[in-house]
Amino acid sequence: MFLRWVTVAYLAYLAVPIGLLLAGSFGELWLNTILPTGFTTRWYREVAVDPSFRRAFASSLAVVALTCAACLGAGLPLAYAVFRAESRRVRSLARVLYQMPIALPPLVLAFGFILVFSSDALPWLGSIWLLAAGHVVLALPYFLQTVVADMQRLGLRTLEDAAESLGSRGWQRFAHIVLPALSQSILAGLIIVAALSIGEFQFSNLVAGFLNRTYPVVLLQAFYGATGFACAATVILLALALIAAVAGGLTAGGATRLKTQVA
Amino acid sequence: MPAVSLEGVTYRYSGTQAGVFDVTLDIERGELVVCLGPSGCGKTTLLRLIAGFLKPEAGTIRLNGADVSALPTRTRECGVVFQAYALFPHMRVWENVAYPLRVREVPLDERRRRAGEMLELVGLSGQADRLPAQLSGGQQQRVALARALVFGPRALLLDEPLSALDAATRVSMRDEVRRIQREHDIATLLITHDQDEALSLADRIVLLREGRVAQTGTPQEIYDRPADAFVAGFIGRANLLDAKVIDAESVETPIGRLATPRHAHAAGSALRLLVRPERIEVAASASGENVFAARVLRDRFFGATRQLEVAAGNGRLEIETAMRDHVQSVRVPREAIQFLNAR
Repeated sequence: MFLRWVTVAYLAYLAVPIGLLLAGSFGELWLNTILPTGFTTRWYREVAVDPSFRRAFASSLAVVALTCAACLGAGLPLAYAVFRAESRRVRSLARVLYQMPIALPPLVLAFGFILVFSSDALPWLGSIWLLAAGHVVLALPYFLQTVVADMQRLGLRTLEDAAESLGSRGWQRFAHIVLPALSQSILAGLIIVAALSIGEFQFSNLVAGFLNRTYPVVLLQAFYGATGFACAATVILLALALIAAVAGGLTAGGATRLKTQVA
Repeated sequence: MPAVSLEGVTYRYSGTQAGVFDVTLDIERGELVVCLGPSGCGKTTLLRLIAGFLKPEAGTIRLNGADVSALPTRTRECGVVFQAYALFPHMRVWENVAYPLRVREVPLDERRRRAGEMLELVGLSGQADRLPAQLSGGQQQRVALARALVFGPRALLLDEPLSALDAATRVSMRDEVRRIQREHDIATLLITHDQDEALSLADRIVLLREGRVAQTGTPQEIYDRPADAFVAGFIGRANLLDAKVIDAESVETPIGRLATPRHAHAAGSALRLLVRPERIEVAASASGENVFAARVLRDRFFGATRQLEVAAGNGRLEIETAMRDHVQSVRVPREAIQFLNAR
């Protein structure tokens, strides 16, 4: 009974801010009351036509795409190298190293980027590439963690040994065994990366240039204006993140179901 | 010409004393050789050397007479079954079995047909379109076996294939492995640490100890004529008695003076004797040759048999008997005594 109430209370705690945001985004007026008054879709229409929000949305999508591509391109070989390292000490050292960015405050990373990339030698501060590069640093640990854990759970090494003994060549093992067996966790990892990149604020706020500010950065400005507008803009971000999370959950669940037989 | 032939094969894991050393072994076509030994004795290393996952530092590995020591795994054509099955989780059962044919570019129709035949042989025709995760452990093991045999390998290598199964499935899978292996008439090396499995399955047993061959022989030879105390103690249960020779037909042991088969050891020399527990008899009377008063220290009841540990003289004996009576004295039949090389 107690546990049930704790659960209900926690869920309510999670849901209330989201509920209020939703209510605010459809409310006409919200001043000094618990709930807004009136109903309108005006705020959504305004967000949709706002040029800075449109640009920010495009920037965010571009950064997400670049970040995901870089995580896949660099992360998969890296994960494989960590997994296949001969020495146990190298493996655990690599794990500590690649998980370090998780502990790194994005603020610190941003200051570092500002120091290095505002110089005349490397004047790239404010470019979308640099933004994506920062997001890669912040998100790659989660991708690596997901994929390396899956490699271990699958016993990928034995699967490759088996394939090799059955006559499979190196590229065949990669195409027939490694990629398909890992597809679910690669997808789940990329969705985590996407969700992190979409929602990232601290780093982006300091490093993004004026013309390629990402969605969360622009969102902050909205709160200086109409409440309804700010709520509507937030709900859009929330929806994006939620879609990523649910998709991630579904694929991760699928991956687990597929791989339960591994001893 | 043996299908598998190892000559002086040596491999040492760098930075350790572990590995296999100077192993010489032939496996004939259709023969099932079981490699047995305590964990860490180099059994799996031996299998990985034959399969090509490891390259020997010294010695030669031949398959059907051809030296393959330097060849990569892929071209050795050995069917390997792994302890954890190693089925490809994203492929259906028939696709798993057909995979060796796929990489050999066999047309799809023929792949399907031959995978189907193999699945029928291992009794899994109905499961062809399932995923490995939907099968039981025993069924997965059959799929792994079918996959390892479908491409007509030169040898079948089984790495503790039954150890992940529950006890009942394990015993029935033993017969299954033997039947399938016989039908394919293929040279087979099976790795196990389970001596029951080794004794019941093998044409021949190779017993490894610290990377070296301790003894090779049929199960009966290994059990009845162990080369030394290690083999005697590892296979089956054994009473190993330190003995001092008195004359050509008697020795002094901790349990007392024993009359033995005639032997040529010099008087006064130290020996090791082996007496299997099931060869010791529960004596009806307290007198006679090699009869000793016994005090029961432990009595374990297994239904068909009883395993007893008794104190006799200044020593102890393990006895296995079907008798239900109280044990007061035991007889060690003269012909049950074997001499081992003292080590």
